[in-house]
Amino acid sequence: METLSSNVILEMKGISKAFPGVQALNNVDLTVLEGEIHGLVGKNGAGKSTLMAILMGLHSLDSGELIINGRLITNVTPREALEAGIAYVPQQVRMMDSLTVAENILAGNLPVNRFGLVDWEAAFKDAEERLHRLGLELDVRQRVEGLGVVEQTMLAIAKALFSNARLIILDEPTAALARADIERLFGFIRSLKNMGVAFIYISHHLEEVFEICDRVTVLRNGQQVGTYEVKDLDIPHLIRLMVGEEIRDYERQSTCQDEVVLEVRGLTRRGHYEDVSFTVRKGEVVGLSGLAGSGAAALGRALFGLERRGVGEVWLKGKPFTAKSPREALDKGLAYLPQDRYRFGLVGIRPVRENITYTILHQLLNALRFVSFRKENEVVQKYIEALEIVCTSPEQRVGLLSGGNQQKVIFAKLAATRPSVLILHEPTQGIDVRAKLDIYRIVDELASQGIGVLIISSEVRELLGVCDRILVMYKGRISAEFRSGEPQTTPENILLAIEGGNAHDQRQVAAVYS
Amino acid sequence: MTKGKWLQFILDRMIWLILILVVIFFTIRIGGKFLSGTTLINVLLHASVLGVLTIGQTICLLSGNFDLSAEGIVSLLTVLAAWLMLPYREMTLAQAGGIGWELSPYIVIPLMLVLGTFIGWINGILITRLRMNNFIVTLAMQLFLRGIAYVISLGAIMPGTPKDFNWLGGGRIGAIPVSVIFTLILFLVFEFFVRYARFGRELYAVGANRDAARASGFNPEKTVTQAYMIGGFMAALAAWMLLGRLEVSVPTLGQGMTLETVASAVIGGVALSGGSGSIMGAFSGVLLLSVVDTGLNMMEVDPFWITGVRGLIILVALLLEVQKSRIRVDMLAGRAKSPVVRS
Repeated sequence: METLSSNVILEMKGISKAFPGVQALNNVDLTVLEGEIHGLVGKNGAGKSTLMAILMGLHSLDSGELIINGRLITNVTPREALEAGIAYVPQQVRMMDSLTVAENILAGNLPVNRFGLVDWEAAFKDAEERLHRLGLELDVRQRVEGLGVVEQTMLAIAKALFSNARLIILDEPTAALARADIERLFGFIRSLKNMGVAFIYISHHLEEVFEICDRVTVLRNGQQVGTYEVKDLDIPHLIRLMVGEEIRDYERQSTCQDEVVLEVRGLTRRGHYEDVSFTVRKGEVVGLSGLAGSGAAALGRALFGLERRGVGEVWLKGKPFTAKSPREALDKGLAYLPQDRYRFGLVGIRPVRENITYTILHQLLNALRFVSFRKENEVVQKYIEALEIVCTSPEQRVGLLSGGNQQKVIFAKLAATRPSVLILHEPTQGIDVRAKLDIYRIVDELASQGIGVLIISSEVRELLGVCDRILVMYKGRISAEFRSGEPQTTPENILLAIEGGNAHDQRQVAAVYS
Repeated sequence: MTKGKWLQFILDRMIWLILILVVIFFTIRIGGKFLSGTTLINVLLHASVLGVLTIGQTICLLSGNFDLSAEGIVSLLTVLAAWLMLPYREMTLAQAGGIGWELSPYIVIPLMLVLGTFIGWINGILITRLRMNNFIVTLAMQLFLRGIAYVISLGAIMPGTPKDFNWLGGGRIGAIPVSVIFTLILFLVFEFFVRYARFGRELYAVGANRDAARASGFNPEKTVTQAYMIGGFMAALAAWMLLGRLEVSVPTLGQGMTLETVASAVIGGVALSGGSGSIMGAFSGVLLLSVVDTGLNMMEVDPFWITGVRGLIILVALLLEVQKSRIRVDMLAGRAKSPVVRS
């Protein structure tokens, strides 16, 4: 293997890192060679981010060795990481948007003339030449905010190289890109690779890993599954490595009834989703999964009236349903738990009591139109007990609760409106394992009361445990449906569908398992 | 834990503690005269117009917005009211009469209240529907309204408002000014209203987190507009009170009061970021400023110094507020300097 004979840029050996309650990384190795594009894959929570944070000096490591360019660094600081030539390019590139490309490139080193003023002609020329050497043609006089997303990403990579980066970490660089832009980005990355630049490529889009990477390291639950030559793998095999042999940690009895409570017919909003049709029955729990940008998230927000919905029909309990605002959606019986609970879910500096009753204040007024404390406290007590919300008192600021308890407060707020349909967007994101089980139990309980539940989640295992059916969205369309209990309803098949795998690949998976 | 609760209890009432300390200080410097009923009435009288404006300001601040237009409303409405009520007179020595319609106070007062509320509504619409910046909108509104006040009055003062108009600002029940009683009642009513009415809940929720409030079924645009309408209404009340006390309209009336209302609210623990604080807290801020003003006046301190001292008080209040939240965070994280078990 010719690549293996080239110089090693980075060696991470036996890296371990624990956070309170979690072993985030356990004895992980990672070796990156000069001119290599090294994929790093794993499900959410597998340890990719932690590993990269250690490399960038953002986290200290508990044990292990870090060798950059042959130099052993025991505990790397962000500054040392930069000086050692490690650069991070995030999904959303941050630059000085209102300044020109040239200013961003030259930053603090703009050339000045003899009056001490910036010599713009020299600056533009310099910036142009630097970009040209990397084979990147951009108008250096243009403001960065005027560039497309892919150009900003390429500029960020170029900028890192100008500050002598030799290893660039790309974190989901294609999430917001169209296919043609991805081609452009990949072309640029390949040309840099030929100049000897190394990349660590983090992506949930496995097909891209196969397209661009030389080798791939798979993480699972903080453990290193292995490092493989990409040409020795195929997508189903890689997915199997990522998923491993998992046991389901939650099983529920279906409470699905015949009556349809939510019916979506041919819903289309250009650029978000297209011709989406599905139903949710009374007491049914339906999962909806897809990559970022697949349209699943936008669909949830649109149904709740937070965004425009586009064309198509929605029926709620047999009646045509539209909601221009969350208030209207709640009044008509559709409630929504947002993904970003700090921004959309809770008013952090207000007490638990107030947060629980925000949605139903109009039901708690007394004859004078003031909020009745007696009625309010009854409701609050009922939900604190029913959902086992742990707080010092109902007057505690909700922002001070643990993530799981905050999520329960939002459930209480939504359940209090007695909805027919409940849409949950990543309901267990960022909460601990025990609280997750509590949330599943609550979902189960709400479904058994006859609420139709739609869970939008990227946690396939979670959906498998709690859902009657799982729908998969890919590029704005519903591309697959899996029913609980059927033989093809496996994490591998679902992940494959999420990745946009076609029937051919699915047969391959079937072959792997037969 | 009880220790933490005690600390919390004291921190939440810090402003009243400071108020007591300030009173003790003035009593020592000035003597028993400072504790007399007359002084108390003077303090409250001082606090009345400022207090009414501060209620409006506090409600806007709770919604997460500034209202800098209130003193412009005061300026316009005092001039307008005098102009509509007073008999016509040629301007002499920068004194003038009204337009000559000699409208009854019982028409003018409701008109003022409606107009003030309407101006608040315009503020609200510009800020919520047209998404203009609240600070600039209300600042521009202040200038615009004061400009109109100058145009109407031609810069002249208009003395001699009718008795039926003056009772709120100048009347007394026994020894106690009507405006003092009225202001105290307003504070109690609004404290109750903001604390217990549905509107109050919306106000805090919208001010603290507009996105979450919307996702909880509230209508932030409506709530913010209503807050400005209350702000405009309170400014109209303050205009009525002020003109009634002075019995003469001056186009510069109210000038500089906006900052005093913001300062009172901040001293009283109302967060500029919205969603935190209370009407009674703002009242304590108004009282503190009034006590200091009155005390320094009685000590015959140079008026220029009084302005400086006010600035200092505001700085100290902000400093305390920041320290308060830091101490809270420390307590939560178990980082308090008091002996706390550390893992």
